[in-house]
Amino acid sequence: MLKKAYDWIDERLNVTPLWRDVADHDVPAHVNPAIKMSAFVYCFGGLTFLVITTQILSGMFLAMYYTPDITNAWFSVQYITGELLLGNVVRGMHFWGASLVIVMMFLHMLRVFFTGAYKAPRELNWVVGVLIFFVVLAFGFTGYLLPWDQKAYWATAVGSQIAGSIPWIGPWIQTLLLGSHTVGALTLARFFAIHVFFLPAALLVLLALHFIMIRSQHIAGPL
Amino acid sequence: MSGGERIPGTPRYRHHLQKNPGTEPFFPNFLLKEWIVGAVFLLGFMLWVVFNPVTLGDRANPDDTSFIPVPDWYFLFLYQILKYYPGPDIVFGTVLVPFIGTCLLIFVPWLDTSKDRHPYKRPLATLGMVLTTFLVIWLTNEAAVQHRAEVASASGQPSAGLPVLPRKDPSQIQFIDTSDPGYKLFEQTCANCHGAKGQGNIGPAIYAIGKYWDASKLEDFIQHPAGAMPPMGTLSNLTQVKEVASWLAKQKG
Ligand code: HEC
Ligand code: HEM
Repeated sequence: MLKKAYDWIDERLNVTPLWRDVADHDVPAHVNPAIKMSAFVYCFGGLTFLVITTQILSGMFLAMYYTPDITNAWFSVQYITGELLLGNVVRGMHFWGASLVIVMMFLHMLRVFFTGAYKAPRELNWVVGVLIFFVVLAFGFTGYLLPWDQKAYWATAVGSQIAGSIPWIGPWIQTLLLGSHTVGALTLARFFAIHVFFLPAALLVLLALHFIMIRSQHIAGPL
Repeated sequence: MSGGERIPGTPRYRHHLQKNPGTEPFFPNFLLKEWIVGAVFLLGFMLWVVFNPVTLGDRANPDDTSFIPVPDWYFLFLYQILKYYPGPDIVFGTVLVPFIGTCLLIFVPWLDTSKDRHPYKRPLATLGMVLTTFLVIWLTNEAAVQHRAEVASASGQPSAGLPVLPRKDPSQIQFIDTSDPGYKLFEQTCANCHGAKGQGNIGPAIYAIGKYWDASKLEDFIQHPAGAMPPMGTLSNLTQVKEVASWLAKQKG
């Protein structure tokens, strides 16, 4: 039955080559921790992706209860943390996951660096990786404000002041960040929009590029 | 190697020892193994999450400027760099150093162009990254330590080595001898930081400091205080210091 359904779709869309390419490509021994234990460093990229996935999922559930306005934001987070069924676990995953992404991404970057995997022909994938790094940092910066507690508010206030102190363009950057001259309702609204719409879009595009390049260039050979 | 090459009828699972030792198909062989790694990793993560519950601070209060701001830990190294360029030099910390760092990172493939990939065969690149990593970790730690010290000294915790009184509700505190002129001075000066009942505020609790220190030790401390307390505790002369000290020494809880 399933086979029939698959064949019906495959006849029309010819999907087999698409997944066959991914499924059948050979994974070399030097990246396989089951063959050589020290190859676990090659898992860091995949594990980063795993954490990104849990971030996206836990974030989608948080968005069901979070309210992005300055009167309710803190209360909605308080409700999620204190009363909502499993709310503290979902928020806990998103909170700790944010740090874990950074750690795993950093380890992955070190692995790529020390194995010299950024060398020709993989220069562009390194550049894409650095861009991913900045997008993830931006996730952290915008997400930090959303609970609207003291820590959040003052970190953003100082962060935007630092941006504002940059010569010439500083004040523009500050206004662009805050939406006004101080951290307030407009800031929270735009940080929320950036955190849940702009950055995920950018991240997914960059990750797609990252993975397509790995697939077409293959993983770098053994040292 | 690529899709479509699998011969129809061959089993999906190929053992790596049979043919072509070492390599195996990405799916299902390799991915299943990676999922095992992922499952163990997720388990560890969930245990961490469950045993380290998230907290929520007080609601944002734009009027409370006494809150000591701090960015999330992964921005601390940048924050720490700022502290080394005070005043007009701040552009080094806000723009120059991060900009140079970013450029170096992005252009790594064009800076290290040798064919060699082994880290030992390109010592400059390896050493550079090792040093950078240690520097970032050190800066992060330094910022965290400084922030903790700042919070401690502003949250009314005395510096190490000084007596520590437990926090107490002001209504539970009874002062002795409130007709003493020392008490009047206390109310006007010390109370601003230590609370009207000495229960502690920006400065630590001192409602029963007489249990630990006598009048002369107190005089001495008020003139040469520790941490964030201003000299003389904002009193204007030695006579006043003596008066406050002699009254405060009587407060033994
Ligand atoms: C500007 C705020 C401020 C004022 C005013 C002030 N103090 Fe303090 N005081 C502090 C701080 C902060 C500390 C903690 C210093 C440290 O240990 O780092 C402190 C510490 C102390 C301690 C030691 C407390 C302990 O637990 O060991 C005593 C005693 C004390 N102050 C007495 C006084 C007296 C008496 C006055 C009034 C004459 C006074 N202070 C005025 C801020 C203040
Ligand atoms: C969300 C963040 C990221 C994810 C999910 C991710 C994912 C991956 C994965 C799954 C691989 C396959 C090899 C491996 O797992 O080690 C890989 C390879 C690679 N990554 Fe990333 N990565 C991320 C960030 C970065 C960053 C920050 C950089 C560098 C600045 C980077 C540079 C590279 C390069 C150059 C390769 C090719 C390595 C090779 O061919 O051996 N990636 N990435």
